[in-house]
Amino acid sequence: MHSEDEAGDSDDDSEDEDHETFPELDPSSDSEDEDEDEEDDGEDEEEDGEDEEDEDEDEEDESENDTEDEIKIGPKAKTIISDITGQPKRVYPEIEPDYDSDSSTEDTPNRVGNIPMHWYDDLPHVGYDVNGKKVLRPARGDELDKFLQTVEDPSAWTSAFDKNTQIDKPLTAEELDIIKRLQENENPDASYDPYEPTIEWFTGKGKEEVMPLSAAPEPKRRWVMKIVRAIRQGRILPNKPKTATTKPQFYAIWNEEPSTHPAPLPAPKPRLPTHAESYNPPEEYLPTPEERAQWEATDKEDRERDFLPQKYNALRLVPAYPQFIQERFGRQLDLYLAPRVQRVKLQIDPNSLVPKLPSPSSLKPFPVYKSLQVPHAGQRVRCVSVSPDGAWAVSGDESGVVRLWEVVVGKEVKRWTFPGRISAVDWCPRTDVSFFVVGTDEKLHFVIPPHLPALVHTATQALLAPANLPPAPSVSSPVKWNSTAASASTSDAPILSLDLPSSSGPSKQIVWHRRGDYLATVSSGENQAAVWIHQLSRRHSQAPFKKIKGSVQLVLFHPSKPHFFVATQRYVRLYNLAEQKLLKTLQSGIRWISSMDVHPSGDHLIVGGYDRKLCWFDLELSDKPYKVLRYHSRALRSVQFHPTYPLFASSSDDGTIQIFHARVYNDLMTNPLIVPLKILRGHAVKDGLGVLQIRWCARQPWLVSAGADGEVSVWCS
Amino acid sequence: MGRIKQRGKAGAAKAYMTRSMAVKKLQCSLADFRRLCILKGIFPREPRSRKRANKGSSAPTSFYYTKDIAYLAHEPVLKKLREHKAFAKKLARALGRGEWSSAKSLEENKPVYRLDHIIKERYPTFIDAVRDIDDALCMIFLFAYLPSDSRVSPTLIENCSRLAAEWQLYVMHSRSLRKVFLSIKGVYYQAEVMDQTVTWLVPYQFTQHVPTDVDVRVMLTFLELYQTLLGFVFFKLYTDASLVYPPPLDAKKDETGAGVGAFSLQEAKTAQNTTAQKAKTVDVDGKRVSSKDVRQTIKTIASEAVDGDVDMLAVDSMPVDEDDEEFVAQPSKSNPEETSDLATLKSLSALSQSGSSKLFAPYTFWLSRETSRPVFEFIVRSFGGRIGWPATSGSGSPFDETDETITHVIIDRPLVERPNETEEESERRRRRKHVQPQWVVDCINAGKILLEEPYLQGNTLPPHLSPFGNLAGAYDPAAGLAGEDVEMEEEASEESEEEQDEEGSEEELEQPEKAALKAAAAAEDEAALRAAELAAEAAGVDFGTFEKEAQKAQKKTKKAAASKQVDEAEEDMNKMMMSNKQRKLYERMKYGEKKRTVERENLEQKRRAIEKEKRKKNKA
Repeated sequence: MHSEDEAGDSDDDSEDEDHETFPELDPSSDSEDEDEDEEDDGEDEEEDGEDEEDEDEDEEDESENDTEDEIKIGPKAKTIISDITGQPKRVYPEIEPDYDSDSSTEDTPNRVGNIPMHWYDDLPHVGYDVNGKKVLRPARGDELDKFLQTVEDPSAWTSAFDKNTQIDKPLTAEELDIIKRLQENENPDASYDPYEPTIEWFTGKGKEEVMPLSAAPEPKRRWVMKIVRAIRQGRILPNKPKTATTKPQFYAIWNEEPSTHPAPLPAPKPRLPTHAESYNPPEEYLPTPEERAQWEATDKEDRERDFLPQKYNALRLVPAYPQFIQERFGRQLDLYLAPRVQRVKLQIDPNSLVPKLPSPSSLKPFPVYKSLQVPHAGQRVRCVSVSPDGAWAVSGDESGVVRLWEVVVGKEVKRWTFPGRISAVDWCPRTDVSFFVVGTDEKLHFVIPPHLPALVHTATQALLAPANLPPAPSVSSPVKWNSTAASASTSDAPILSLDLPSSSGPSKQIVWHRRGDYLATVSSGENQAAVWIHQLSRRHSQAPFKKIKGSVQLVLFHPSKPHFFVATQRYVRLYNLAEQKLLKTLQSGIRWISSMDVHPSGDHLIVGGYDRKLCWFDLELSDKPYKVLRYHSRALRSVQFHPTYPLFASSSDDGTIQIFHARVYNDLMTNPLIVPLKILRGHAVKDGLGVLQIRWCARQPWLVSAGADGEVSVWCS
Repeated sequence: MGRIKQRGKAGAAKAYMTRSMAVKKLQCSLADFRRLCILKGIFPREPRSRKRANKGSSAPTSFYYTKDIAYLAHEPVLKKLREHKAFAKKLARALGRGEWSSAKSLEENKPVYRLDHIIKERYPTFIDAVRDIDDALCMIFLFAYLPSDSRVSPTLIENCSRLAAEWQLYVMHSRSLRKVFLSIKGVYYQAEVMDQTVTWLVPYQFTQHVPTDVDVRVMLTFLELYQTLLGFVFFKLYTDASLVYPPPLDAKKDETGAGVGAFSLQEAKTAQNTTAQKAKTVDVDGKRVSSKDVRQTIKTIASEAVDGDVDMLAVDSMPVDEDDEEFVAQPSKSNPEETSDLATLKSLSALSQSGSSKLFAPYTFWLSRETSRPVFEFIVRSFGGRIGWPATSGSGSPFDETDETITHVIIDRPLVERPNETEEESERRRRRKHVQPQWVVDCINAGKILLEEPYLQGNTLPPHLSPFGNLAGAYDPAAGLAGEDVEMEEEASEESEEEQDEEGSEEELEQPEKAALKAAAAAEDEAALRAAELAAEAAGVDFGTFEKEAQKAQKKTKKAAASKQVDEAEEDMNKMMMSNKQRKLYERMKYGEKKRTVERENLEQKRRAIEKEKRKKNKA
């Protein structure tokens, strides 16, 4: 189409010429250049450099390019309506790829390129053709020729000088059109429509941008009037209260799934009214004057009912209930102020709580009734003892009288009188000899009962007053053994007497070892030397404890082992006498121990206290009691196991004796069975003292009890 | 070695909080805390050991669970209360400065809390809510009768009376009233709603005044909660019964004192439409209903019941429903015997609505002027009866006094002579039964129509007993009659004999002699025996025979007594072997039992005395 060589020149030389100098026009456009470049790329590298140069120039003067953009010379575009978008679009005619469709195939003889042509000014040629041959400068006529040509050739005035070929070339119709438009200050592009309709890119439905194009707040002018108008028309109610008058709206609140949280516990419901609350109750519900007075006297909180039953003959006579609002209020206080405690309501018969035990009648024999009574002239009988064969009993009272009597008939055989009160009496458990020990204050008297078989009598005398005394022990003890000679002894006076140290006080307990050789005494004195163990065969006494914690109340020999129980006020200690060490301390929980006995098997111990408790210890089990029973209403005075029958008994200051069945099993798994059998009543309480001592008969289930009322009773089955 | 435990860092000290600690933690006033506790249903707890919970102090304080308080701390209502506090400050400031307009706008935008979420929290299911509306109903009915004053606003009273009326309307509509009890405190009603027994107490119609020793703020807070709760409960109940909630109020009727009648129950439109459609399809199909159709119908019914609020319990107004809910037994393929006894919905609803719910259906009542209209209108209409009242008791009576259908007149007046009665009036009088109000209530509680005779106008009424029954083992005035009759007779005869004796006719020597011997036998101690001896002597029995008899009798009684005593003694002895805990429990139970028996015996004794008195009076 047009030579590129010239285009560069025109740019360089005269920019202002573009519009003014008519023939020297270079109407090449960038877009076309590019198109051409793309097409030319493969053909000659020479042009590449030029292209770049072009581009540089383009960048330099954009304003010029802008104007050049518009100058579009080439195939005319048609504007048609697109089938697809429905919008008008420009369509260019098809480029036919024949020879004259491309500048490369054009017959351009000069191939020097886009160079300043004045370099060839003084040369006969103007460049070189494609074969390297010089292209000779065309012959140019003089001024007259030029003039003539303009006159002759009608197209001469529409042709322009082509530097490249150095000849005038006629302009095409399109070029002429562009020139014409430029002259008229119009857009050179014929298809350009300066009045085409605007296209709304951002306004209209669905085209709004999410992000504002500007951060400026919406000006007031846009909306103030709208609101003012709405207020005027009454569409908006100004100053409508937002919250104050919103009415509660109800909806189906329970329609969705309930949460998995457990519901809070419902409040307890108030009790439903009973007959007494009726306006016309049965007459028996009406309160008597005393009941009314009592009701009025009690405090409001303490009343069983918060109203007094009243009777009205007709419903119309029933007045308003004056306490109504108070009661409602009280209920509400209960709901939010009262601590709630969940209680399990027991629907059981209270009698089912009472343990089921075998009937006492199935556990016979045991003492049931009082068979006889031996009076002691109103003196308190502190002690009683039954002979090992169970035929005889001795009892000693506070006036110093000791009575010997038959258990079966109660006939008194003999009586002794000692100075001072008798605090303890005990038979020797040996059967080959027969005697008993009487404890008065600070003295022990060994007495042989009358009417003994001769053999037994002599053996006893030989034991208590031997002809040749055993050698005196190496360590002298403060206890004096005074015996009368066997020949001089009578049953009226004790055959042997022991003088305990004078400060020790009356001996309150005498206990024999099972073999009958040792006996232990406990004195009521406060000092340490309260416990003495006397050995009959060696006629020797010793105090086993140099020092002992607490004041000793009672002592006991273990029936089978060389063990020794010592009860202080609160604890029971078990010592091994052979090894001389403490084995156990039993904690009874009793404040003050009064009595104690060990089971014939030696594994169980019962301890009675002044605080009305009885503790059963299983020695193999624990140091704590297996069972604590409290059934006497006053202090316990004496407890004892029966030596052969599964029985034990306790006596108390309330004047009663309680008999228990106590079965002990050999296997370690079964707990002992304790069954209360019988309460024996018959002793009177005198000066706050009841039954002071009880003893079992060895071979019968009989019981001998000594009371403060001066009676000794025998209880038989 | 484990970590050393610090005091007060675990256990009861952590789990419990005193009230002042709680208030401090929530940073609100004590009044706000109280309000929150009421609304959220949080109450103090009793720790096992007060000392441990309170850092070793045994001062009398109330404890709350720490977790409860932590739960309160997130409460939206608490936030609103704080906002309200700020608002109150702002308002006071504006008022103090005289900025009236800003005060007004503040007042208009003051923070208000809603309790919906609390209702949902406290009552996760509808059943929970229905179980707990007893107290709410009592309060609503009380406030409905209160006069409004400065503390109790008229709108509140109005709302309460509206809620009360709505509840009554629902109970009447669903026929769920079961028991009524006229007590000296008010009228107790018991209804069965959603299988829950709901009991409420309505005071008699007198103006109540709030006493000074009652904290109205507490009551109002409760009322706030109760109003919301009842609103939601009623909404659900009404929509389940396919009724419109709230029922529209006719203001004109309300002004003329129509009470409950001022509200009109409206069927929900949607429900009507669907039932009509269903009826149509069934009609079209006629007798030829294929099993498939039936199945589809059942399915649609079921789905409706799930998503909509269509009541499945058919009421009188929807007979069509009953028809198409007939159950068609589908023999199951796996187990063909199974289907035979499936309860249909119809049969179930029939079961629940026993005959007693339509107890008064055949009767028409007229209320006399002095009887309470709200009470008896509610009762009678709940049991299907028709009732009318004179204009002085309010408007809205469906018929007037001259109506021929009236069968009963509820009247609470003594009988009077009516000298100038017209023929017509006396005729009408004869035809109708004039009963006292108690008859209505006793009929309901008995579940059947009682004889009108004892309740007729002017008669002394039989005692009105509580339908809720007594505690187990308590004195039962109704049952006591039969058991004691024989004894009574015996006593009566003895008495009559004594009277005869007193009169002086000493023909019968045998009787006093026997009595004396009996006394001797009964005599337990010496003094009584001597007295019996003297009596015998007076009766003319010689000493020898007396002694013999006495001994014989005494031996017999002694033996019996001894055996009884032995048993008791054994029991007593077994009690020795109880553990301390068991013994205490046993003694507590025995104490309660004893108290009840003493009470019962006291009542029985009183009753005997009263009967005796009556008999004497009758004789005289």
